[in-house]
Amino acid sequence: MTIDGLAYIGESRYGYRLDPASLIEVLDHNNVASAFVAPTHRPDHDFTKGNAYVARAAEESGGRLLPMARVDPWSGDDAIGAVFEAIVSDKFRALLLHPAEEYFRINHPLVRRIAQRAEDLHLPVVVATGYPALSEAAQITQFAQWCPAAPVILTNGGQLNISGLGQADANLALELSNVYVQTSGVYRDDWIARVVSQFGAERIMFASSEPLMEFAYELKRIQLAHVTDEAKALILGGNSSRLFKLANT
Amino acid sequence: MIVALQVPRSTSRKVIALIIDMHMHIDDIPSLGSLVSPGACIERMDEAGVEAAAVMTLRDLPGVNPQALDLIGEACAEYSGRLFGFIRLNPWYGKQALELLDYAISSGGFRGLKLHPVSTCAHPAGEETVGLIRKAGKLGVPTLFHCGDEPMTTPLSVAPAALQCPDSTIILGHMGGYFHVDEAIDVAESAPNIILETSAMPYPAKIKDAVDRIGAHRVIFGSDGPVSSPVLERHKVTLAGLMPEEEKLVLGENAARLLGVAK
Repeated sequence: MTIDGLAYIGESRYGYRLDPASLIEVLDHNNVASAFVAPTHRPDHDFTKGNAYVARAAEESGGRLLPMARVDPWSGDDAIGAVFEAIVSDKFRALLLHPAEEYFRINHPLVRRIAQRAEDLHLPVVVATGYPALSEAAQITQFAQWCPAAPVILTNGGQLNISGLGQADANLALELSNVYVQTSGVYRDDWIARVVSQFGAERIMFASSEPLMEFAYELKRIQLAHVTDEAKALILGGNSSRLFKLANT
Repeated sequence: MIVALQVPRSTSRKVIALIIDMHMHIDDIPSLGSLVSPGACIERMDEAGVEAAAVMTLRDLPGVNPQALDLIGEACAEYSGRLFGFIRLNPWYGKQALELLDYAISSGGFRGLKLHPVSTCAHPAGEETVGLIRKAGKLGVPTLFHCGDEPMTTPLSVAPAALQCPDSTIILGHMGGYFHVDEAIDVAESAPNIILETSAMPYPAKIKDAVDRIGAHRVIFGSDGPVSSPVLERHKVTLAGLMPEEEKLVLGENAARLLGVAK
């Protein structure tokens, strides 16, 4: 069973949008069972509304869309507290932090209180990764050390650099046992294979990052990867299922 | 008209639709972490149905890679008709770099120049680099730039060089990487000697965008293999949804023209 580890739904202030019905169409077209969905950064900057939109879409999707909350560390204690209340009440499976779109440094002291809450709940935290000065793999390593009991999942293989210059830092991040990587945008086929051989197939998972990246191509990236069928099964769905505790639903 | 490449195979010389990968790597400097064999390229090319490829080292000649000419030359001789060499040079070596370029193209059978401003710290529009690009143009071969997101490699850094060398063909490898793809298409619109190469950048739709804006004759398929997957990169072009004639140009016919294997 294939599960997309991250897609965004709603309208973004940055000019992209995806509605739940369209995403389900994409899932159907690609024979994918379900997708974890996080809200976009809405034009009104209202993350409470964004999270509610995602929760409602998930509820109406018959299990196809699996909700992930999003929080802006710059918002006040009340807003952040409300997000975690919703998480505790089992509305969300994980938390998304997007340092580039909310403009914060992932290892800024401000973010530490969020790491602490994730640590308390053993909550998976997905970090939009690879944005210079904001979410470099080495910076996320510091964040991950703040919450060792929480899985910290780096999008884009922990790197967005076409010279491969981010790979070494991504490897160092993976030395931490609570760090995982998603495959969206990872152009180095050999790096995907190396993560499997060096760190284990349970540390890497398929994610499309639709609509920022293209679903069909991101799926092909794994279908054509030079890893064993067993590893592919974990990457395509087994790991997301385990980390986001789908088996318990 | 394209001359179909006669590819040596053990059991067949069947000619299929022409697919040429314009960006692959070979190198043999384990101390710098650069170890990629010609055999690995051929294996990945076969998997992807790629007939021929432009190959270049990962490190620059002269300086850290004094064996580069021999390494690429021998690989192209071993896989004659399948591998075509690009010489990767460090512009800071001035006259020596110019002489190496002249020798590689005029006597060594190389088909292009590769420049990577990250590894050489030479700006694309710097005097030394422009000299090499002009020389490549005079020799009738293209210059392939690494064009991604790092300083000195972005489309807007390379564009001034293209404007200074209107008689030279400049290929933007990776067509701007992750964050500079729109700018790559923009500069290609304003500089007709720029060609966009598709490897590694992750957006199939941008290939279609590029074809619509600058024409299919100015977009070429590359993989950055063998560490990137040619078969996956080829799928990216397919997923772009081009017209069949456009796809043929992008996947091989344009490259055949640039490599001098079309007539």
